[in-house]
Amino acid sequence: MREPLHASTRINLEKVEVLLVDDSAPSLNLLSQVLLGFGVGNLTRADSAKSAQTLLRERTFDLVISATNMAGVDGYELVKWLRRGALEANRYLAVILVSGHTPPSHVFKARDAGANFTIAKPITPKIVLERILWAAKEDRQFIECETYLGPDRRFKNDGPPNGAKGRRREDPPQALRPPGAQSLESSDSEKAKS
Amino acid sequence: MTVARKFRAPNRLSMLARANGGMMAKDALAAADAALEPLRAESLAVLDAALAEIDSRFGKPAAATRGDGAFQDLYTLALRIIDVSGFLPGSCVDQAAISFCALVDTCSEAGAWRWEAIDVHINSLRLLRTADLNPDQRRAVIDGLNKVSQRRIEDL
Repeated sequence: MREPLHASTRINLEKVEVLLVDDSAPSLNLLSQVLLGFGVGNLTRADSAKSAQTLLRERTFDLVISATNMAGVDGYELVKWLRRGALEANRYLAVILVSGHTPPSHVFKARDAGANFTIAKPITPKIVLERILWAAKEDRQFIECETYLGPDRRFKNDGPPNGAKGRRREDPPQALRPPGAQSLESSDSEKAKS
Repeated sequence: MTVARKFRAPNRLSMLARANGGMMAKDALAAADAALEPLRAESLAVLDAALAEIDSRFGKPAAATRGDGAFQDLYTLALRIIDVSGFLPGSCVDQAAISFCALVDTCSEAGAWRWEAIDVHINSLRLLRTADLNPDQRRAVIDGLNKVSQRRIEDL
């Protein structure tokens, strides 16, 4: 579970290089104002995914916030491209996609493209700041395979089953389930015993 | 067999955001709200213009020609309403526009327009934007729209 936003949380976005991408001018203006309010000191705006690609080939950014529905290259394609085709230093950037219509299929599409998080429009400053903080605290590893490059798509890591030793280097020494909670395997074996 | 590589990538955002200075979240949110305020009138004008364009191109006044319109054009106009509807909190205009997007999506998948459902969405958007409704009445409008947009063409 990701941490909710606390009023007293401190954040410094003064030196963060943000690239904002949207082909809708009103939406681009709204997001820009929100980010300027957050104290973002280096904000670059792109009015299409194509212009964003040009920028991502030339300059280093720290965060990309992009709309999904854009004419020509859309936000999903932009993220997929960014993970493989952008400047080396930009490939592992935090990417937040912003979408007006977010049925589950679109959220999965964003996840499978390699985005870190998705925000549903209409945007609210609270949700935007919360997602930026989540992206800043991102601790998921990157996965690279033939069909995917991006943050590990599994959010939860309960650790190995109770009583079993993890096989992966990053597995915690024991299961992380709350006391009393049983893994599927152990509850099955309990049933089998009774 | 597919070979997957797992690795930790540097998170520059994390390093910069933790630097000394900056501001507290509550101050950042207050500053963002203040920065948005000058865009209110302009944004509501964008919303009204999008609604007017939807009506003139896809509403009853365009009954003779609307069948030639593109699904993507109507979808984009509905998205434009969602973009700026944050300035009308509690109005449910955003939810009506989201239902509209879902409707256009199903029309696009089926390759056929559902004009009655589209007319209902246009009328409801206008009602939610202009009429003095209480929260229960607004909720009832959205519940009705969701039922309409979730019906698939083969169910009709």
